Amino acid sequence: MSKLRLRHAAPALLVAVFLLALTACGTEYPNSTFNRHTDFNTSIDALWDRLLFWGTIVFVFVEAALVVTLIKYRKRAGGPEAKQIHGNAALEITWTAIPAVILVLIAVPTVKTIFETQAPAPAGALKVEVIGHQWWWEFHYPELGITTANELYLPVGRTASFELKTKDVLHSFWIPQMGGKRDLITNKSNFMWFTPNADLQSSVWNGFCTEYCGTSHANMKIRLYTVQPDEFASWAAHQAKPAVYPAAEPATPATPATPAIPAARGAQPTPAPVEDVGYMFPTADLPDHVIPKTPTPAGLTYDDALLAQGDPTAGQLGFMIGGCIGCHAINGLPGAVSTIGPDLTHIASRHTIAAGLFPNDGPHLARWIKNARLMKPGILMNTIGRGQYDPLLKITQEAGLDDKQIADVVAYLQKLK
Amino acid sequence: MATIAAPSLASAEDAYAENSGIWSWITTTDHKRIGTLYLWTALFFFLVGGLEAVLIRTQLAKPNMGFVSAETYNQLFTMHGTTMVFLAIMPLSAAFFNYLIPLQIGARDVAFPRLNAFSYWVFLFGGIFITVPILFQVAPNGGWFGYAPLTTNQFSAGPNIDFWVLGLQILGISSLAAAFNFITTIINLRAPGMTLMRMPMFTWMSFVVQFLLVLAFPPITIALFFLLMDRFFGTTFYEIAAGADPLLWQHLFWVFGHPEVYILILPAFGLVSEVLPTFSKKPLFGYNVMVYSGIMIGTLGFGVWAHHMFAVGMGPVADSIFSMMTMLIAIPTGVKIFNWIATMWSGEIRFTVPMKFAIALIAMFTIGGISGVMHSSPPADLQQTDTYFIVAHFHYVLFGGSIMGIFAGIYHYYPKMTGRFLNESAGNWHFWLNFIGFNLTFFPMHFSGMLGMPRRIYTYDAGQGWDLFNMLSTVGTYILVVSTSIFVVNFLRSRTRGLKAGNDPWGAGTLEWSIPSPPPDYNFAQIPEVTSRYPLWDLKDPAKTAGIAHSHADSATITDAHAVPVHEETERHTAKSLGIPMPFPTSKPFFTALAMVSMFSGLLFRRSGHDSIALTVVVGGALLFVSGLYSWLTSPLE
Amino acid sequence: MSSHAAAAHGAHGAGHDDGHAHHHYTTTGLEHRKIAIWAFIGSECMLFASLISTYLIYKGRSIVGPFPHTEWVNEAGVVFKPILNIPVTSASTFVLLMSSLAMVLALQAVQLKDTPLPDGANWWTRAQRSSQGWLLMTALLGMTFLGFQAFEFASFVHEGLTIKTNLFGSTFYTLTGFHGAHVTAGVLWLFTLLFIDRKRGLGPKDELIVDIAALYWHFVDVVWIAIFTLVYLIQ
Repeated sequence: MSKLRLRHAAPALLVAVFLLALTACGTEYPNSTFNRHTDFNTSIDALWDRLLFWGTIVFVFVEAALVVTLIKYRKRAGGPEAKQIHGNAALEITWTAIPAVILVLIAVPTVKTIFETQAPAPAGALKVEVIGHQWWWEFHYPELGITTANELYLPVGRTASFELKTKDVLHSFWIPQMGGKRDLITNKSNFMWFTPNADLQSSVWNGFCTEYCGTSHANMKIRLYTVQPDEFASWAAHQAKPAVYPAAEPATPATPATPAIPAARGAQPTPAPVEDVGYMFPTADLPDHVIPKTPTPAGLTYDDALLAQGDPTAGQLGFMIGGCIGCHAINGLPGAVSTIGPDLTHIASRHTIAAGLFPNDGPHLARWIKNARLMKPGILMNTIGRGQYDPLLKITQEAGLDDKQIADVVAYLQKLK
Repeated sequence: MATIAAPSLASAEDAYAENSGIWSWITTTDHKRIGTLYLWTALFFFLVGGLEAVLIRTQLAKPNMGFVSAETYNQLFTMHGTTMVFLAIMPLSAAFFNYLIPLQIGARDVAFPRLNAFSYWVFLFGGIFITVPILFQVAPNGGWFGYAPLTTNQFSAGPNIDFWVLGLQILGISSLAAAFNFITTIINLRAPGMTLMRMPMFTWMSFVVQFLLVLAFPPITIALFFLLMDRFFGTTFYEIAAGADPLLWQHLFWVFGHPEVYILILPAFGLVSEVLPTFSKKPLFGYNVMVYSGIMIGTLGFGVWAHHMFAVGMGPVADSIFSMMTMLIAIPTGVKIFNWIATMWSGEIRFTVPMKFAIALIAMFTIGGISGVMHSSPPADLQQTDTYFIVAHFHYVLFGGSIMGIFAGIYHYYPKMTGRFLNESAGNWHFWLNFIGFNLTFFPMHFSGMLGMPRRIYTYDAGQGWDLFNMLSTVGTYILVVSTSIFVVNFLRSRTRGLKAGNDPWGAGTLEWSIPSPPPDYNFAQIPEVTSRYPLWDLKDPAKTAGIAHSHADSATITDAHAVPVHEETERHTAKSLGIPMPFPTSKPFFTALAMVSMFSGLLFRRSGHDSIALTVVVGGALLFVSGLYSWLTSPLE
Repeated sequence: MSSHAAAAHGAHGAGHDDGHAHHHYTTTGLEHRKIAIWAFIGSECMLFASLISTYLIYKGRSIVGPFPHTEWVNEAGVVFKPILNIPVTSASTFVLLMSSLAMVLALQAVQLKDTPLPDGANWWTRAQRSSQGWLLMTALLGMTFLGFQAFEFASFVHEGLTIKTNLFGSTFYTLTGFHGAHVTAGVLWLFTLLFIDRKRGLGPKDELIVDIAALYWHFVDVVWIAIFTLVYLIQ
């Protein structure tokens, strides 16, 4: 009895799974590979449709043949005896030939698409250098003089041509809505290009590292903003400028606010006031799927009330004495030129920190500075908070910044729009 | 002679009495006992790998779970893959190679019984060596594919990868030794009249697999040797600073890795090719084509490795070539599927548990095959590779294919191995829960993959559209836990409580069913003279084999082997009473294997900075190994 | 029952008429070990193919010298000559080739052991029967080759190339070292045969064990020809 029930339940359950999967197509899938938002993915999706079409036909045919055979020739009382057939050359040739024909129908467009999508990028493409690090992304726009990290802006309607490299292990650059992925190979440059459709509204996409690269492989994400050309131009113009704090010195010549670093102002020939903010994808328009929901570790506490008291000037000093400049560059802060960690020049113009792992807001930034290794396993960034236990080195940080000093650094970083 | 009466069973127990105790297992050279050891050990590792999978799926049940840490997760997925490939499916196949090949070809043992024991012990020690570290949180964590340069000292300074490199090297030696043995056995120990084209399909597919092992393991041996040299002796094979090309590892690994896929699947194909004819009451449809397609799959398998590397930027020409080579493999594989269905067509299908598993293989492997063709197309693969779509694909191939086939084999051959049936009703529960759980686990992965979920991530954020599919997969995994538990209990209980099975409980047609269950140590009291592919059907039901080619007894061969016509042997004797010389039991393979494994493990002391201990253990192990070999080779076999 | 047993025993014990005590029935009539050694050699081909491919893939990729065929000047201005010494290696290659010839003669000597010498046999005909002599000569030539290799390695290290120096060093030493290890194993094997020969004399009944050693030895030799051509001769 139970046996019978189980047997009947099985196909029903399977059908349920298939149906569930099908109905699921109606809801929103923010990282779907099926949308033809670029020329690259249009080619791939066309090929996919063909593969799915033939795959479905073969699937239905084979499974139907199997089921019919099982029903028709099941042993039953008074049923016919087995017919002793040992083979049939004509049949066997047929079912060798038909798959061969189907494969030709797949192979021809495949090869065509391979050569199309791997052709050199069209002239006038926007060049972007992608450099993989354990576990974050460095982006250069060599023609525009921009260096940024983890968040990428591209204008719609213009081809983006990527040169992919890695500083350490292998990674893979993938933004599912834009097309296929390409690996970042040590001691080699790889290339890939795609053109976001010109009629695409300004939008945000998730990207991922898809080559296993160690402990925090899961935490190496990308945000891509495909924006209108004028928005991109505004963004790019601002990003190319140094970010100097305090800004707008001609307006307030008296009482230098930062006696600690007088060289900062003198060193910059054309200081751009940081309040002059270029285009940034509006926070209010961010779709839910690009807002990180990673929980912060329970053991990592920080009094968020301190953030309101953060002093950016002291924070700028803290950025240097806290050791931040050992790894991070800020174009506009003399001495902050290291390329070990992400470039923080316009960090306040980004929506996320830690390669898409947390929202870029005060509480997260403060906790991140305090003990990044608790928030993102295995990473290179030191535990900065005084008295914090470093889970990688397994020691307690005796020096470092206290919570108030961290609030100052946060305040400073938040000025770097 | 005609019945299996009580007295002969008593003598069976006598025969086995002297074969009990742990020492008898350590010293055994009997291919059936070694096969049994392989089966038990591999099933144990299968459960270990399954447990790892359960932990993985628990962590992924919901977004942002904190069930295990990132580091633990990475060790778990690395060890799940490594365990299932090298410690579960391969040795489960090896269990059947050992147990069945000599029985199917009418031989009394393998060509090199002691080498066979050596292969098993090396496998066991290697398996322990690579598995134990996970208990101490220092298990390998570079993925089962171990891509350089992540596995070099620069990025993996701990001992984790050392266990992996050395462990795989050890396991490779086991597989190679076994492969030389089985190639020789199949070429040289077939009963008179058993031409190559009369061999049972399982033996044929196993034969192909042995060649794949012999040719595919050297490249990974070399790749691992380079890594070993890099990690322990400072060479530069994968050193970034020295200008190394990380694709070297990938090419060497996949030159092994793709044939490895066929090493994993072809034995299962062989097993279902035994099960389907038996329960359809018909010979296998298109035997010759089945053989040729198996050979084709194996051969083409060496020309497609770079389809694992479409994302590395090999250029359009290489992509196109490897793409088309890969598509070609779909043809012989498709032929197999159709021929199996045609085997059942016009038969009398009995839905026994082994038959259900065999049918499930056809149904499920087809899905894996179709998704396989989908990523043989490089542009499409660029959206699929390293996502859960691939995870779905290869689980349909390896679980829906290999594991289903192996379960079919276990249910089919358990009566032969133990003399008792596995419980049918528990078997049905196992099958249906397994079938449902498998599909519920892996079918949704097609969707999570195509909807953008990368592989090998220990966690994912909420709101990515993957939550439902992951939850379904996890629920499916728990159903698999239930079904596997039922199997384990059934497997253990039926040894003593199962219904008794005679020589030929299923009405099968090949030689292994002509002798008692379990077979006596000498297998065949008289070597049968074979005249067709289904000798036992020739004997019992000639109508079934009337349509296939037969030869008359070849007198020359018969004289040579003193073979007698195919017959059933129902009486149980001992080799001694029949005067059949059997290989002596010996502990030499055991200790030689132990010495070899200690030699490798000595290198671990170099990681901890104890160079002199390392040198002592390595050199000492090597000397013991060589003296073990000398002592083994100079002592008589039988 | 008794006929059963007799037949069974016969089935097992039957062999060819050459009086070998342990000659079982085999399907092909060949000894198991003969088939196994061919499978082993097939596997070894893939092993060396992987090593040689790696060498060729990395050829010219080394960032620092010394290099095999070209001069190199380091930052300090020290000049390094092309490091491969083709005349010396040609000599060692010749030695190894000669060892294969000696191996052929050793096998022949074993096969002919029981054949009476013709009357008035000259010294060469008599020498041809000395299996011990030829086995020893094969082993000594093999050891000479190993000596050349040791000399080569030592001089390369002296000239600044170690296994850690660059990709060339790593691939070169590993490839030739692997081959050297195979020669070493072969020399051990030959001495084992020599030991057996001295202890109880090798005769036609032992043809197989000498034959498989010879197959192995010739294989190792052929591999060296490939290495010599691809690594040393082709620039």
